[in-house]
Amino acid sequence: MKAAIRMEVLKTRGRKIWLVVAVMMAVQLLWAGWTISNKDADDLIQGWMFFLYQFPMLNCIIMPVIAAVVASRLSDVEHQGQTFKLLETIIPANRIFDAKFIWGSIYMLGAALGQLAIMIGMGFALHFGGPVPWGALAGYLFFTVAVSLTIYAFQQVVSMLVPNQMVPMTLGLVGGFIGLFSMFFPQGFQKLILWSYYGVLMQVGMNWDEATRAVDFYWTAIDWSGFGLILVFFGLVYGIGRVLFVRREV
Amino acid sequence: MSNIIETEGLSKQYGNVYRVKDVDLSVPEGAIYGFLGPNGAGKSTTLKMILGLAKPTAGEIAVFGKQVNSKNRLENLKNVGSLIESPSYYGHLTGEENLRIFQTLRGVPKQNIDEVLKIVRLENQKNKKVSQYSLGMKQRLGLASALLGYPKLLILDEPTNGLDPAGIQEMRELIQSLPQKFGMTVVVSSHLLSEIDQLATRVGIIREGELVYQDSLTKLHQYSKQHLAVRTMNNEVTKSFLSQNGVAWEAQDDYLIIPQIKDSMMAEISKVLGQNNIGLVRIEERKKSLEDIFLELTGTAVSL
Repeated sequence: MKAAIRMEVLKTRGRKIWLVVAVMMAVQLLWAGWTISNKDADDLIQGWMFFLYQFPMLNCIIMPVIAAVVASRLSDVEHQGQTFKLLETIIPANRIFDAKFIWGSIYMLGAALGQLAIMIGMGFALHFGGPVPWGALAGYLFFTVAVSLTIYAFQQVVSMLVPNQMVPMTLGLVGGFIGLFSMFFPQGFQKLILWSYYGVLMQVGMNWDEATRAVDFYWTAIDWSGFGLILVFFGLVYGIGRVLFVRREV
Repeated sequence: MSNIIETEGLSKQYGNVYRVKDVDLSVPEGAIYGFLGPNGAGKSTTLKMILGLAKPTAGEIAVFGKQVNSKNRLENLKNVGSLIESPSYYGHLTGEENLRIFQTLRGVPKQNIDEVLKIVRLENQKNKKVSQYSLGMKQRLGLASALLGYPKLLILDEPTNGLDPAGIQEMRELIQSLPQKFGMTVVVSSHLLSEIDQLATRVGIIREGELVYQDSLTKLHQYSKQHLAVRTMNNEVTKSFLSQNGVAWEAQDDYLIIPQIKDSMMAEISKVLGQNNIGLVRIEERKKSLEDIFLELTGTAVSL
């Protein structure tokens, strides 16, 4: 397996995949800077909560795009060069699938860590109020990674099964938008959609007073049943996708 | 001589259609086995089944004397190199990097990379991105990938596809040298009879999924039976005369094609024809070409 992962690293040489992650992180940084720029000192007291609310929302779009692009870039090299038919005479198809997933996960983890760095960096730079909520930040990282890997697994399955990469890219974008808009729908509906789990696993809620137009953030209990469901989704997507990949004929 | 590949009743069905049906392939050790057939005859499907890239609907496959199943497939394939349909490569990487990927995954020594690059004469192009290679160079890189582990068996599916005449010649020379240099057995498929004729020691001809011929190329040449073509001033009367004397005939253009007969018999025929005032204007000896035999076996044109 080690060799297979090392070869995945070699295959991505010159593919500029980290650039995609960096660009998306820059977008997230600009978004965070823009949304926080009109906050006064009072608002910044809830700065950490503001970010822990804003970032998962934005992730509904950002992370699915990263997942779609990374999965597509990693799989496209195989489709273009018709390499599966050679690789599968050397190593088992399930190892190819696993190695690709592990290497792709590194990009997703990198993106999640990048977001965390943006939050912490901006929090310190702008002197957000109260102690740093390390537990909630760790929770953010944990849940973001869990949801992102599930979405990445889905993207990888489609990217590896369908040679035309427009299909997984479109699915990723559409999924992201559905995930974003599902936040306006009941939780029961949200939980049916992979891309909406950034919202389901949010640790912060928001009250908006219509009369005063004031926004107030509050800590919410973690939705562990939602977390359990995303794990089930992950198992299903990964397991079924892997079987489909292994069973298909080249 | 033992067989490196043996299949028994190998079949592949897609929907209601058999792409490959009851194929009993036997590839002897050390041979260059030419697997010949028109496009779509089932060559690639058969080779993919041998490599485990497609699952047979029915039948058995034995490679190196061992029954192949999903559990021992990769273990068996350690001694097999393959190039199926078109070369597999990563265009954004150099030739050497491409080979490094397959060398690492195969777990063979690094030095093999330089050696196979020399064999396929790509050592001076190894640092060039493969996307900048010509088709011939890509095919040679594909062959280099297949050779990396110095396999005992090499399966090459249409390795000269898309190459210019010089590239075809070069690839042919390379393939021909492998059994002598490295003791490899080579299975090479093609839809071009002339290519297989110059390359193979044993040949299998497949038509619409069925193996219609399998033996040495020499034997195939022996099928080229000689015939006599006779033209007279009155072929209609000649036909009945031949029939009366028990000589089979077949009309072909202005000629009557008859089997090789004794000189005395031919002399008798010409005498009787003369007595009946039927002028004998042509007697030609004709031999069936290999192309004619191929046409008969496959039911399609030669370079298909």
